[in-house]
Amino acid sequence: MNENVILEAKGICKSFSGVPVLQQVDFSVKRGEVHALMGENGAGKSTLIKILTGVYTKDSGSVFWEGKEAVINSYKDCQKLGMACIYQELSVIPPLTVAQNVFLGREPRRMGLIDHKKMNEMTQELIERYDFPLDPVALVSNLGIGLRQLVEILKGLSCDSRLLIMDEPTASLSGKEAESLFAIIDTLRKKGVSIIYISHRLEEVYKLSDRLTVLRDGKNAAVLNHDEIEPRKVIQTMIGKVVDESAGSSKEMRKNNNEVVLEVQNLSDETGFFHNVSFKAHKGEILGLGGLIGAGRTELVRAIYGIDQYREGTILLNGQKLHPSPKRSIRAGFGFVPEDRRGQGFIPLLSVNRNTALTNYDRIKKHGMAVSDKAELSMCRDAIERIDIRPADPDKQVGLMSGGNQQKVVLGKWLMRDLKVLIVDEPTAGIDVGAKDEIYGILEDLAKSGVVVILVSSDLQELIRVSHRILVMRKGSVIREFDSGVITQSMVLEAASGLVEKEVS
Amino acid sequence: MKGINISKFSKPIILAVFMLVLTVLRPSSFLTVGNLSNVLWSVSVYGIMVCGTIFVFLIGGIDLSIGSLCGLCAVTVVKIIRYFEYSNTGVLLGVLAALSVGILAGLVHGAIITRFHVPAFLITFATQIIFLGLSMILTNNKILSCLQPELFTAIGMKKIFSFPVPIYIMLLIALISWFILRKTVLGRYVYAVGGNSPASRLSGISDTGITVLAYVFSGFTTAIGGVVLASMTQQCMATTGSGYETEVITAAVIGGVSLLGGEGTVSGALFGAILIGLLNNGLNLLSVPSTEHGLVKGIVIIVAVGFDALQHQEKFKSWLNQFKMKKVQGAA
Repeated sequence: MNENVILEAKGICKSFSGVPVLQQVDFSVKRGEVHALMGENGAGKSTLIKILTGVYTKDSGSVFWEGKEAVINSYKDCQKLGMACIYQELSVIPPLTVAQNVFLGREPRRMGLIDHKKMNEMTQELIERYDFPLDPVALVSNLGIGLRQLVEILKGLSCDSRLLIMDEPTASLSGKEAESLFAIIDTLRKKGVSIIYISHRLEEVYKLSDRLTVLRDGKNAAVLNHDEIEPRKVIQTMIGKVVDESAGSSKEMRKNNNEVVLEVQNLSDETGFFHNVSFKAHKGEILGLGGLIGAGRTELVRAIYGIDQYREGTILLNGQKLHPSPKRSIRAGFGFVPEDRRGQGFIPLLSVNRNTALTNYDRIKKHGMAVSDKAELSMCRDAIERIDIRPADPDKQVGLMSGGNQQKVVLGKWLMRDLKVLIVDEPTAGIDVGAKDEIYGILEDLAKSGVVVILVSSDLQELIRVSHRILVMRKGSVIREFDSGVITQSMVLEAASGLVEKEVS
Repeated sequence: MKGINISKFSKPIILAVFMLVLTVLRPSSFLTVGNLSNVLWSVSVYGIMVCGTIFVFLIGGIDLSIGSLCGLCAVTVVKIIRYFEYSNTGVLLGVLAALSVGILAGLVHGAIITRFHVPAFLITFATQIIFLGLSMILTNNKILSCLQPELFTAIGMKKIFSFPVPIYIMLLIALISWFILRKTVLGRYVYAVGGNSPASRLSGISDTGITVLAYVFSGFTTAIGGVVLASMTQQCMATTGSGYETEVITAAVIGGVSLLGGEGTVSGALFGAILIGLLNNGLNLLSVPSTEHGLVKGIVIIVAVGFDALQHQEKFKSWLNQFKMKKVQGAA
């Protein structure tokens, strides 16, 4: 075994309820190396990390730490070995100082009391060793998100960690903050600290990593050295060639019909999630919005629907200016299926009947405020029949149904309206394959009947299969537009990760 | 789903068993019109209150101020009647004023909770103290009696078909509350907001408006409860109605109203109120010393709450299962 290897995983297998998620995966990290881990959503990256950090237990395979087989049953075990995970959602405590955060739970004591002086000195020592732009006595609440991340990293280093795991560390950082993080990573590498770097952003991986492991469908797809990392090749490896050229088929809809229904002009928000976004959507068109997580797609569609405010720009529906709020948007003919289905999509305690009726009481009122139970029920039966909700029981509590059927209930309440625009955000996340196809069918039928469907999806196959046209967003801007027929997954991914930024359309 | 069905039938069954036991144990005194009317009469004030406060529970809020608000409304009506020298005009104005106080209190609660996102628990706890303090000032911490006019005493004491008026008021309020919750769009929205307010907002429902309305309705029925209570006792003082919030919350919880929101019915809440009345009545009829009432009632509440929690656990389990599935797919 190579002396230089600090962590080695061999033949890792893991299944969840019979479905294999990792199959014979090998993974090794050398001392003082930045090792990137890439793969599409669902390729098994997070499962692998969770096994290495003791969140999940592996079904078979072994993990070696410095050449000796290691048993990792909890995050504590993994910390004891010398690994630390820098979480995406930071776990620092804002009202405490940098030093207090770094030594949280392990404060140096003197006569039973916390020795603040020593704690600050120890923190200062660490800061100097790794050259972090931090002050031990500064309050974390006064620090920006980038510096908070450094506190988190320092916390890991203070436990003598020799391997840091960073999961999408730049997802919420500004460009400048990211740059300084890269510098820190470089310093750490020089001091012999190893880093597992998980990211979707190719250019970062290209810039930082010494080696790259690509996972695809739970298997090793490739291990590349720095000089072998060639962006197009990496994308090909991530996607696999078989499914790549599955471009759209029966998508002649838009060509017959050029009437613009929805037009967005120069839309920008306050915080910079999206800026200067303009696009037109035509009658009967399924318009896909592609991009990496954090590209601003969800924020954009939420603003168009009127849940969040936007700072400037115009939204036109059939040429008329719209000042959206959910209520006004619904009246104008919008529908919205949110990303967080359970949290925002439906009401778990209520029945299918009450959930599908929720947006339709303007039409099932008898007189005044009274509801017609009969009209409510017949509308629900209508929805159940039209999109095959199972079980076909109007009184079934939606919280107890399967994910796919829950999503159909969410869709069902919009289908009962006279829609002009339907916005769907990750409509098939966590839904089984059969239900996915049914949901695609519903969206396609809607488009055929003239509705504009705006589809936000991180599932490239889905995006290409369903959309007539795809806009790719990156860092809050629409940077590329692809027309139907010629789109491949690698084209979208290349644009989304910024490889072809010069071709802005 | 099963759990809900069982609990739907369990309420009448519990009530029947309870009454059967008391009938067998005290055949001559329990099952008489006089006694039953007494039971209902004794629960009418918090029966009236729970029919309004249920709106607050259903949206997932809580109103701790209703006890002292009930007292403040009682003081208001009595003060005004005394000011107008026990005239019928005084009664009318007094009742109107009391209702206004209740509605205003609800508006203030709703506005503060929705505008500043303060937890309902804190704000209504604070107003509970404020309302009690106001009553103290208004009564100068003395008992104010009000034995006339007849128009006033009739509200709490007059019998129609051998049942006192408060029982009819309770049934009327229950009917209104049931109608709103079961038959109107507003009622549908109340359950929706309580069940999932972000989802309701995305569906174009104003959760702010619904929240304010719920507190207003709670204040309104509390005011009616205060007027009835003042009339029944023909007097009032600052601490009139104190502790009624506990009775109302207990009645609601026994009746299967979830304090987490989204779940519960008026009939359930009313059942809870009546069960408390029967319990008190039974303890008296069985000559259980009043020193031991608290102990027995406490145990009954724990049993009822435990039963409720168990049903939720079923749901909790299925919810958890789903979450597990999601996690797997997320990881894969």
